[in-house]
Amino acid sequence: MGVIVRTGARATIPLIGIFGAYIVAHGHLTPGGGFQGGATIAGAGILFLLAFGLSEMKRHFNKNLYSALEGIGGLAFLGAAMLGIGTAFFYNVLWHNGPFFNGKPGTLLSAGYLPIMNLAVGLKVFTGLVSAMVGLALYRRWRK
Amino acid sequence: MPFIVAFVLSYLLWLVLTAGTNGLLWSTQELIAGLIFSLIVAYATRDVIGEKAGRFLNPAKWIGFIAYSPVLFWGMVKANLQVAWLVITGKIRPGIVRVPVDLENDAQYTILSNSITLTPGTLTIEACPEEKALYVHWIKIPEGMERLESSEPVAGPFEKWARRLGR
Repeated sequence: MGVIVRTGARATIPLIGIFGAYIVAHGHLTPGGGFQGGATIAGAGILFLLAFGLSEMKRHFNKNLYSALEGIGGLAFLGAAMLGIGTAFFYNVLWHNGPFFNGKPGTLLSAGYLPIMNLAVGLKVFTGLVSAMVGLALYRRWRK
Repeated sequence: MPFIVAFVLSYLLWLVLTAGTNGLLWSTQELIAGLIFSLIVAYATRDVIGEKAGRFLNPAKWIGFIAYSPVLFWGMVKANLQVAWLVITGKIRPGIVRVPVDLENDAQYTILSNSITLTPGTLTIEACPEEKALYVHWIKIPEGMERLESSEPVAGPFEKWARRLGR
């Protein structure tokens, strides 16, 4: 892309990233949540891919890191769901008698395991979508 | 330095988004969460934001941007009325002109190009830093202005501002 798009992307990619993080972190308070925020952050990654091109993306994209982070996101979701396995699967033990995440409803540290699950889903969606887009962009050529 | 710029930018946006959680101010939880997320975002985007972005942390530059906003707004108002007149009368003479500019870096080109695009009637199509020129689509080229020597007829005072703001 041209110089204007690239400079604009330089300024907006951190802003898109922090806005996506805001959506993910406030998933239990405001509209949005893990998927929507993760897709927003993935938009920043795709903007990087489009504005700077595939060769620059190849230098910054670490396949193993993204793959590992996607797995960690899924495992964190499962781990939060297993916390209350003594009562039932998905039992919100952090909310009922946990050490943290049990503040007054409406504050950031409330709603038990929901913030953890939102962060896990956001991480998984972000890494998964960016990996998928890079994988499509890297597809060898139009015609065999 | 790029890390600090990205951190300040993202933390400012976080503060704007979460204002009002404690009365009109911010609750401690939000401030700490914003700190953590901003650090992560800044670490992830430290290579993206550019090596010399630190110059935009200069408060003199912020005052410059604030002083620029009424200039840009007034230019937009004037040009919108002009285009409304052109729509009613239908007397247009469209074409693409090459505008030579005297700018050094990408930020200056971006500010000038966006200002030209925001003032209706002119639309930046391509910025060429190699040949120090912008290609601008102009809705009504005055007679004899097909080959420009400076950016004055297209951009007005914007080139001076862009040079100062992006330096």
